[in-house]
Amino acid sequence: MRDVYVIGAGQTPFGSFPDRGYRDLFAEAYTAARDSVEDGIETDEIDEAVVANLGVGGRQLGLSAPAVTEHVGLHNVPCSRIENACGAGGFAVRQGVQAIKSGMADVVLAGGFEIMTDMSGDVTKYWLGVSGETEWERLTGTTFSGVYAQMASAYMEKYDATKEDLSRVAVKNHANGAKNPKAHLGFECSLEDAVSAPAVADPLNLYHCCPTSDGAAAVLLASGDVVDQYTDERVRVAGSGAASERVGLAERDSYTGISASQEAGRRAYDRAGIGPDGLDFAEVHDCFAIAELIAYEDLGFCDPGEAPRLLREGVTDPDGDLPVNTSGGLKSKGHPIGATGTGQVVEAFDQLTGQAGDRQLEAPKYGLTHNVGGSGGATAVHVFENEGVAR
Amino acid sequence: MTGIEGVGAYAPRYRLTAEAVKDAWGQFHGAGITETAVPAGDEDTLTMAYEAADRALEAGDVAPEEVTHLSLGTTTPPYEEEAVTARLASFLDFSEDIETRQLSGSTRAGVDALVAGLEADGTALVVASDAPRGAPDDEVEHAGGAGAAALVLTPDGPGAVTDRGEHVSPFPGIRFRPRGSAETTGLGVTDYDRSAFTETVAAAADDLEGDLAFADAVCLQSPNGKLPYRAAGALGVDSGALQAGTTVHDLGDTATASTLLGLASALEDGHDDLAVIGYGSGGGATALRVDAGGVAVEADLEGEAELSYGEYMRIRGDVTPGEPEGGGAYVSVPSWKRTIPQRHRLVAGRCTECGALAFPPEGACTECGALDSFEDVDLPGTGTVEAATIIGQGGAPPEFVEQQAREGAFVSAVVALDGPGGEDDETVSTPTQVLTGEDESVEVGDRVEATIRRIYTQEGVTRYGFKMRLVEA
Repeated sequence: MRDVYVIGAGQTPFGSFPDRGYRDLFAEAYTAARDSVEDGIETDEIDEAVVANLGVGGRQLGLSAPAVTEHVGLHNVPCSRIENACGAGGFAVRQGVQAIKSGMADVVLAGGFEIMTDMSGDVTKYWLGVSGETEWERLTGTTFSGVYAQMASAYMEKYDATKEDLSRVAVKNHANGAKNPKAHLGFECSLEDAVSAPAVADPLNLYHCCPTSDGAAAVLLASGDVVDQYTDERVRVAGSGAASERVGLAERDSYTGISASQEAGRRAYDRAGIGPDGLDFAEVHDCFAIAELIAYEDLGFCDPGEAPRLLREGVTDPDGDLPVNTSGGLKSKGHPIGATGTGQVVEAFDQLTGQAGDRQLEAPKYGLTHNVGGSGGATAVHVFENEGVAR
Repeated sequence: MTGIEGVGAYAPRYRLTAEAVKDAWGQFHGAGITETAVPAGDEDTLTMAYEAADRALEAGDVAPEEVTHLSLGTTTPPYEEEAVTARLASFLDFSEDIETRQLSGSTRAGVDALVAGLEADGTALVVASDAPRGAPDDEVEHAGGAGAAALVLTPDGPGAVTDRGEHVSPFPGIRFRPRGSAETTGLGVTDYDRSAFTETVAAAADDLEGDLAFADAVCLQSPNGKLPYRAAGALGVDSGALQAGTTVHDLGDTATASTLLGLASALEDGHDDLAVIGYGSGGGATALRVDAGGVAVEADLEGEAELSYGEYMRIRGDVTPGEPEGGGAYVSVPSWKRTIPQRHRLVAGRCTECGALAFPPEGACTECGALDSFEDVDLPGTGTVEAATIIGQGGAPPEFVEQQAREGAFVSAVVALDGPGGEDDETVSTPTQVLTGEDESVEVGDRVEATIRRIYTQEGVTRYGFKMRLVEA
C-alpha cells in the first residue's frame, strides 16, 4: 500500500473566542495548514475531507462537515464528520490515511473544530456530559472529570501515587505551553500552585484538569505518488493504530490502564517498525493529569506504576529522554474537543520540520500522537517519521 | 387468622429542632414536639416506604415471593395521580400478580392500609409513609415530620388483631389540602378541632369490646405532641400509655405513619398489648386491639444530623433551582423502564456460554464475547468500592444539579457487586452513588450495601434506583 505523508498542518490559537464562529475558526486553521505546505496547494487539489467534531454546542448537529468545508471553498468535495468524542481528531487523520492508502484519494484534508466557551452555564452542563457512558455512568451522577477521578483513586490506591505525582503533569505541561503562542493557558505554574488548587472531583483538582477551549486545527495528507508536488519535507505517517474499549469504566477489566490505548499503541509501533525506545517525542492525551500517567504506561514508555517516577526524574521534560507534550498538551495548550487530535499532529509536524519555535527539539526523527475519546472508549495513535533525518 | 409477623420502621436521619424553627420564625407552632425528621434531598414517601418495608420483611423473615398483597397508605405520595405501589412492589421484588392498594386522602389511611392487609388472603405487606407539609409559618408545617412503618402479615403471624372498631362523623375544615396544593391546612378552630378528634377516636374505641385498660401502649394518631393527651380522659387511658405509643415528640407529625410508627416504637420498648387508633380529618377513626406478643421488629428511627433552618429549606427543595435548561444526552422514560430490573433490584446476568456475570445483562459478554445470552441472576445487594470520587458543587451533570443543590457534594463510585455467593465470590461492577453521613468519606475497599433513592427527575418523572450506603465496619 502507498505511503502517506503530512504535507502541511496548521491551527488557530486554542482559547476562548466567544465572538468568533466555528466556520471562521475552521477557515483560519485551513488557511494555516495550506500556508504551511512548502510549495503551496490549491483548494481544488483536495480530493476528500474528514472533519472531527463533537457537537458545536448543539448548533449544527447534522452536516457539520460540509458546513465548514463548503465555507472554505471545498465545493463538491466528499466530506464527512467523524465523532469519537475527544478522540475524533485522531480518527479523522486515520480516515484520511485510509482514504489515501485505498487509492480513492491522493490529497485529504483532516480537520477538526469545536466551540465550547460561548454557551450559557446551563447548556455547557449538558454538552460536557455527553461523552461518558450515559445510561449508567452519567445517570448515576458521574461527570467526565468524575470518571477520570475514579481512575485516579484506583491508580493512587494501587501504586501509592500522590497528588504531587499528578501535579507534576501540570507543572511540566504549563512550562511547555508557556512557550507556545497558540496555547489557551500559556502560563507557568509551580508544584505548590498545582497541589493546592481547589478540588474539582476528588482526588483531581483544578490543575489536574484541562480547560474547555474553542479552536480548529487542520492537517493535509498526501500520497507518496504526489507528495513531491507539494514539499521536499518527508513527514511520513509511519504507523496508524486505533482500538476501542468499553465506554463505561465499570465494564472494563482495568481502571488503571486503557486497553484501547495499549492496543492502538502496539499497532502503531508495529506498522512503524519501532518501539517506544525509538521515539524522540510524544503528544499524549492529558485531558486530566491521571490520563498522562496512564498514557505513559499504556504506550510502553514505562512499566505499570512507574509513570510517577518518569515525571519525578524529568524523563518527559523537554530536555529529557522522551519529551512529552512539548505543545503544552491539553492541560495548557487547550482542549477544543474536535480539534484536539489534529492539533496534536500540528505539533508533531512543527517539531519534525523544525518549526516549533522556542519549543523546538533537536532534529527529532520520530514523534507519536495519542488521542483518546471520552475516558478511553476509543484511541487513535500515530507515529510520524521525518525520513530526511538520519539516525 | 392473619397475624403480624414482623414490623419495620424508618425515619430519615436529618432532624430540624423546634429551636431552629424558633430562631428563624421567632415562634414554633409544633405543640409538644422537640424535633422533626426531615427527608434527605433524594428521599420521599416512596423511598421511605421501601426502607420500612425492607426492614419489616427482614424482621419477619418473609421472602418477597411469599407476599400476595401490598397496601400503602400516605397523604403525601410523590404524585397526586399515578399509583406508586407498582414501583414499590418492583423495588421489593414482589410478584407482578400481587394485589395492590394505595390509600390516601386522610391521615387515617395508614391504619386503613393495615385493615386492608388484614382482610387480604395470604401474606400481606402494609406500609404507611408520610412527610406532611404546611404553609411555612403554620402548625402543620412546624409539626410536620417524616417516617414510614411497615407490617408484614402472614397466615400464622404471632401478632393478633383481636378486635376492630370504626367511626365516622362529618367534621369539615379541620385538616385539608385543596386540589393542586402541596400544603395541608386547616381552619384552626381550636375547640372544634379538639372535640372532633376526641369524640371520633373515643367513638371508634367504644366500638371495641371492653375498655382500653388492657393496653400497655395506646398508639393514637398524633398530629402534634399535645392533642393525643387531650383524649386521655375520653379514652380512659393514662398519659404514660399514650406516650408509649407515639413517636411524635422526636419525629413530628408523620400523618398516616403516625400510629404504626407508634406501634413499632412500643414493640421495641417491649409492650405487647396495644390499642392502635388511627384518626383522619373528614372525620373518622379506626381502632384496633392488638396482641403483639412474639412480633419481631426492626426500627431505624434515630436522628444523626441536625439542620439549620436554611439547610432545611435547601434540602426540602424550597430554594433550589431545579434542572437547568438545555439539551444533550438524554435517556427517555421508555429506555429507563427497560432497565428497571437493574435499577430497582440489581438483576444481573450470567452468560450461558462461559458463566461470567454481567451488569447490566446486555450486549456482548465481557469475558467470552457471546452476544445477549444471559440468564437472570439475583445479587445480594452488597459490594466493595473499587474507585471513588466526589462530585463537588457546580460539577454535577444537569440531571443531578437539583440533588447537588439540595444535598451538596456527593460520592460517585464504581462498586464491585458481590455475586450470588456473597463476599469473596465473583463480582460484577457498576457505577453508583454512595450515600455518606456526617464526616463519612468513601475509600477504595469500603464495603457498601444497596438501598433505593430518587436518582433524578426529568420532565416531571422521577427515576428511582439503587444507591449504595456504607456498611458499618
